[in-house]
Amino acid sequence: MYRGLPDQDANPAAWGHSIVRTGTAVWGWALVSFKLGRSLVWTLSAALAAIAGVGACLAGARVGETRHIVVAKTPSLGLETMKADYRGPTFIPFPKDNPFTPEKAALGKILYFDTRLSENSAQSCASCHSPGFGWGDGLSLGIGHGMEKLARRSPSIVNVAWGETFMWDGRAPTLEAQALGPIQSAGEMNMQIGQLIARLNSISGYQPLFAASFPGQGISADTVANAIATFERTIVSDHAPFDAWIAGNEKAISDEAKRGFVTFNTKGMCSSCHEGWNFTNGSFHDIGLASADVGRGQFMPQVPKMRHAFKTPGLREIARRGPYMHDGSVATLESVIEHYDSGGIERSSRSDLIKPLGLTADEKTELIAFLNTLTSRPSPTSIPMLPQ
Amino acid sequence: MRLVSLAGVVMLGMTLGSLAAVALTTTEVIGQQGRKFSAANVSVRKGQPVTFLNDDNVPHNVLSLSVGNEFDLGSQPPGTSTDVSFTVAGEVEVICAIHPRMKLIVNVTQ
Repeated sequence: MYRGLPDQDANPAAWGHSIVRTGTAVWGWALVSFKLGRSLVWTLSAALAAIAGVGACLAGARVGETRHIVVAKTPSLGLETMKADYRGPTFIPFPKDNPFTPEKAALGKILYFDTRLSENSAQSCASCHSPGFGWGDGLSLGIGHGMEKLARRSPSIVNVAWGETFMWDGRAPTLEAQALGPIQSAGEMNMQIGQLIARLNSISGYQPLFAASFPGQGISADTVANAIATFERTIVSDHAPFDAWIAGNEKAISDEAKRGFVTFNTKGMCSSCHEGWNFTNGSFHDIGLASADVGRGQFMPQVPKMRHAFKTPGLREIARRGPYMHDGSVATLESVIEHYDSGGIERSSRSDLIKPLGLTADEKTELIAFLNTLTSRPSPTSIPMLPQ
Repeated sequence: MRLVSLAGVVMLGMTLGSLAAVALTTTEVIGQQGRKFSAANVSVRKGQPVTFLNDDNVPHNVLSLSVGNEFDLGSQPPGTSTDVSFTVAGEVEVICAIHPRMKLIVNVTQ
């Protein structure tokens, strides 16, 4: 849902602040040097250099040599063992500080579909995360305030209840924090929180809904965020042919798709990141796309592997979620497979898992057949009546 | 008698010294199999190494941004291990940059 440029509302100082401070200190010292006499400066410089040297020795943990060790090889997994990793959960997890209630989820749904949450009343959360497009928008890049193109593709919200971090670059630690991001982002819904609360308070129909969901708490940033997040957690992928196969129905998917599943877990190495029933382990990787966007690197500049790294999206309902990748630069699933088979752009930040795979034409076709089994039959989503 | 006492003190000193050396060189081994640290918490003395062992089948990138104990192992391939000793007492938050579910607290004591 949140697709604004990271520098619009993030707090880079939370990561990398020491680098900024060092730079400031250097400029400060240059200024002092200019104002003081040369000999005094040399003496003080020598003293400071000595202190800095000791400090450098003391600062940070000490890292030893890397050793190669013998790790017991994982035995080749049989098909049934592989399948066991893909059984879905039986309940939706809700956080203790924002538990599920039907009233809250219903209010969250109304807020999610209400365009009045944007400054010009033109966009709702559903504008970019629409049930009609697998809870995305079907576009390469999102469209924000004033119909301006955004920097990244709108991610689907399917199965966000199991997310660990949110946004393509993972900068939101909770779904509640994430929910308020795009509402406030100038490039997206462009609505200040104070303005939002005043507007919702002016719609009398919202008062009883908030009262029922949050007794005694009223309309606030927290209650708006908690309601939207609660609704979003209820957006769970439907039962797909793949699930029927995992449950034991051998006829639920084709033999071609079954072979694709094996390639997915072995030669293709897809399951290293697209892991488990939701087909993501939430990991961050540079997958070698040509995009200049540094992604997670903006928030972890001191970690080389995070440059151009983005969160691994899940693959549920994948056939309805194109175009693909964080920048929407890949139009079809066939092109996605070609990208991974080629390994993309070779650079130091590229994940060590991304390299040419040497897939055969049959293996590529089988992978596509498998991926298509992850999409359920489309079912209609009801749109709520909005309060007046 | 004095000679015996002196020898006893020397022996005691050597024993304590050896024990201290052993305490500092004994490592706590933290595995990473299944995209999980093998422990959620570990306690070590200042200077005592923690061995980060990648016994998983994917690379990890173990690091800490805790002030005074910062480190970054970079991309650590499966089948490798690296020792890290912490220089400042206190709580150190260790994560894997690639896999945000991996979190470990190292309590560094004096």
